[in-house]
Amino acid sequence: MAITLYDFELSGNCYKLRLLMNILGLPFDIVPVDFFPGRQHKADWFLRMNPFGQLPVLKDDGLTLSDSGAILAYLAKTYDTTGQWFPDAPAITAEVLRWHVVADDITASSSAARLALGYGYDFDIPKVQKQAHRIFRLMDEHLWFGEREGRDWLCSPAHPTTADIACFPYVMLSEEGGIGREDYPALRRWTDRVRRIPGFTVMSGIFPAGRALQTA
Amino acid sequence: MSAIDPITRDLWQVIAATEEIPVGVVETTLLLDTRLALTRDRDGNPVVWLRSDEEQGDEIDPESILDRLPVLTGYGYIWTSLGNPPKELFPIPEYAESDRVNMSCGSIGIHVSAPRAVENFLDMGHFPYVHTDILGSEPHTEVKEYDVEVSEERDEVLATRCKFIQPRAAKSATEPMEVEYVYRVPHPFCSVLYKSCPEDEGRRDVIAIFLQPMTKERCRAHLLQSMIDSTSTITDLRRFQQTIFGQDKPILENQFPKRLPLDPRSETPIRADKSAIAYRRWLSQKGITYGTIPVAS
Amino acid sequence: MTLSLSDPTWYPIASSDDLPFRHVYQGQLLGRELAVWRADDGNVNVWENRCLHRGVRLSIGVNEGGELKCQYHGWRYANRSAGCTYIPAHPADAPARRIQNRTYPVREAYGLIWSAANDDQPFRPFPGAEGHDWFPLRPMPVNAAPEDVLAALSALAPDDQPADLMPGLSLRFGGTYYFVQPVDAGRAVIRGLLATQPDATTLRHYNELLSKLRDRLERAAAKKPAPEPLKPAFEKVSAELSTMPEIAVPRGNTITVVVKRKWTSADGVIGFELAARDGHLPTFQPGAHIDLHLPNGMTRQYSITNGPGDLMSYVIGVKQESASKGGSKVLVETVREGDLLAISEPRNNFPLRRDATRTVLIAGGIGITPLLSMARFLDKSSLNYELHYFTRAGDVAFRSELEALHGKVIFHTGLPRAEIGLTIASALGQWSMAQHVYVCGPSAMLETVRSTAAAQGWPDEAIHFEYFKNDKVIDDSSAFEVELARSAMTLHVPSGKTILEVMRDNGLTVPSSCEQGACGTCLTTVIEGEVDHQDVYLNDSEKRSNSCMMTCVSRAKSPRLVLDI
Repeated sequence: MAITLYDFELSGNCYKLRLLMNILGLPFDIVPVDFFPGRQHKADWFLRMNPFGQLPVLKDDGLTLSDSGAILAYLAKTYDTTGQWFPDAPAITAEVLRWHVVADDITASSSAARLALGYGYDFDIPKVQKQAHRIFRLMDEHLWFGEREGRDWLCSPAHPTTADIACFPYVMLSEEGGIGREDYPALRRWTDRVRRIPGFTVMSGIFPAGRALQTA
Repeated sequence: MSAIDPITRDLWQVIAATEEIPVGVVETTLLLDTRLALTRDRDGNPVVWLRSDEEQGDEIDPESILDRLPVLTGYGYIWTSLGNPPKELFPIPEYAESDRVNMSCGSIGIHVSAPRAVENFLDMGHFPYVHTDILGSEPHTEVKEYDVEVSEERDEVLATRCKFIQPRAAKSATEPMEVEYVYRVPHPFCSVLYKSCPEDEGRRDVIAIFLQPMTKERCRAHLLQSMIDSTSTITDLRRFQQTIFGQDKPILENQFPKRLPLDPRSETPIRADKSAIAYRRWLSQKGITYGTIPVAS
Repeated sequence: MTLSLSDPTWYPIASSDDLPFRHVYQGQLLGRELAVWRADDGNVNVWENRCLHRGVRLSIGVNEGGELKCQYHGWRYANRSAGCTYIPAHPADAPARRIQNRTYPVREAYGLIWSAANDDQPFRPFPGAEGHDWFPLRPMPVNAAPEDVLAALSALAPDDQPADLMPGLSLRFGGTYYFVQPVDAGRAVIRGLLATQPDATTLRHYNELLSKLRDRLERAAAKKPAPEPLKPAFEKVSAELSTMPEIAVPRGNTITVVVKRKWTSADGVIGFELAARDGHLPTFQPGAHIDLHLPNGMTRQYSITNGPGDLMSYVIGVKQESASKGGSKVLVETVREGDLLAISEPRNNFPLRRDATRTVLIAGGIGITPLLSMARFLDKSSLNYELHYFTRAGDVAFRSELEALHGKVIFHTGLPRAEIGLTIASALGQWSMAQHVYVCGPSAMLETVRSTAAAQGWPDEAIHFEYFKNDKVIDDSSAFEVELARSAMTLHVPSGKTILEVMRDNGLTVPSSCEQGACGTCLTTVIEGEVDHQDVYLNDSEKRSNSCMMTCVSRAKSPRLVLDI
């Protein structure tokens, strides 16, 4: 049975799922939800699927799932036969979940600033921008030391995990929230690496990176 | 120098999609650096005034608002003016055709001046790079010769015979095909696009962008679609337009300077930019300084 | 201390490690934004972070290895020169005008990338720079005034070992060097250098030290009014670039180059590497040639074989013909390594479209030179191409260069004439939309390709070739008046005489060389009248512009021409 994604194109949280499913080569159907300006995520039919009134929602095999981070974990554990996107080793699982929480913090700051400036939402813009900068500083530091230690991704395995997928969209979209990334060179390099993962796909607002292959 | 040039002050300016404004509840916005409040009365008519201590979401009796700004409803949007606006808004006759699906597609804030956003709307050369695989794709990058005129009688910029090869010009299309566009700029901060309609060869779909200049370097894009489409849902059509606009947004927000430079020596035009050159000249001749960098006298 | 936009000091703007393969770094210095990228040849470019076309940041563009591609309209800018090499909206035109982004001086040294707001000062190593294997610490951006950051760093030094202040917002103590990169009036980046390779603990120690320093500085800065940011102006483009695009043909400036290398490639081809005496050579596009001014006063055209962004020298190939006299003979026999030669700026009458789904390149013998350049450009952009190279002997010129390409390169050696035709026919195949063929070689081969392609459905505009000789029959039957605007003379040009001859008959000295419409020496600006172009020097768009002509072969369609002479 096909996977169905209740989706809004301009949502970074919906994009996380499109991105992982594309990388895993999973076919899926999209049901567009008019989040803006239609506010369909607060409509009765939507609230019956997700009482929290939040996108995305994913239906698979009789299940109705919500929350992008939770669904990323579900998709990886169900469909990633390599086990690399959400590794089972307890220590790594803990690491990945830790970064899923950072991803939510990025949503609460960078995405909030974007919603306020672009879509008329009422957030304290300077405050959420400041929070985003604080997170980006920490990520830049983490990634810079990672590069010294031969680690390319947010978590310790040599392969990207759902943590990278979860954190990526609202880092890339931060400029729409007035949050520049010029002070975070290691973070910018990481966004190039994510954009070069085979199967990578874009969303509106994110451009692909150039060719990655190092040729002689 | 006065912050708002007299031409801009006397124009009708778009501020919101009518249906998004609740009755008896305050909505706030910014127009030409001026804080505005608006609501709708019991009959659904918009009321707009200079904001003082009202907050977004306050309940208000519209009858109590005495000092009102001029207001007009057009193409599904509320328009107001800080000066003395003309009697009517520029015409989009197709909007009234009964079999068209007319819809707003959301109002999106962008960190760039309104004229920069208009110029991007007129531009075809970016299709393969910004709207990859939708409005254009490499290797079909050529912008062929097209015609541009400034219509004296209607006081608008008109670009015709604009042709571009698009990968998915229509839902049914499998091969890239050439589509033809006509662009109008009937208002310094608004543009209307006519594009061949897949469902009816003799008619054209209409897509318009109305920019609300919030500050000299920030605007809100209000999108209108007036389509002949019996199969797509409003959600589908909105999604398509938002996808396109969402792709333009990071380009516009990475443009410097944010105001549109009118001095020809500020940037490097090519033949494909004929419509942009005409638009810049037209703004210059009109004396629009809001959101532009005028030619140094 | 106030920061100045014209401060000539060299400051570090990035670590070398900040510029990995095919990345574009977003740099900042003295209120300006910079697009910083390393080309595949290792060269680091520091450019204004703004495409000249529509002002979009180049840091959101794509590093293609030898060129940077703007995200908005796909314009390509060459490594080193920042010159525009390709405008996709007009794929058949060579960007004739020299569109060039603003560049800043750059030096990579001691693990850092250094730049300056202008080149008023030469780069000087900091005191004690030499003799160490420097390690750059993690850069620490700070939202505080650069001078406050310097003062705070200085205060880190122990009392008994005060910091040694150095020029250019830098200091050292305890074997560690600190440079403050002035980003803006209220922003800076601390860049530390260690003289030895540190272990992980040391790195963490410095990072913690500088993070705490940053936090203190930012708390203090938050209590003060924010300083006024610097306001850099964007430079105006030249008047020539600001108007819409009638095409202007650049007037021949000559450049002096050094023969850096001369070698026998193969198949009777001598390679010449012509290097700039200082810095790099001008931007060229694939298919471009230079005029080489020979010691004996002759001028000859040679195609540039280089790939994208390869501007330190031009490599050309010269055919060593036994019976040849003049041009190539002089080059082959008398010019030696170390000699100086004058060349023109590159011109392109053989532009490469990059909007093809399939590109076929067909070379015969020495005709490989422009096609090698084209193949290299297509190669870097991962575009689909096939290069067919026909040679007489087994040894082929530029073999190693061709073998380094990733596309389909097919050598056809010593084929009999009939087979050449068949091979060309199958190489071309049937035409379909967005396919283009480029051919360069002996005229017989050119003819074969043209007729075969036409027979297989290839339209004229998909078949590209270049003339170095004008083989056309010149129609000199017209008669007309020529008004020489600056000389205030009106001359009658009768049928059977050229404009050039009539001008000479009337005592004017006008430069010319080949007198067959191929070399460009007699290029003249047209002020009024309609030109009957018969040359092979100007490209189609230049001809259409009706703004210039070759007086040695071209004539008038209108009764009168007004020339800028």
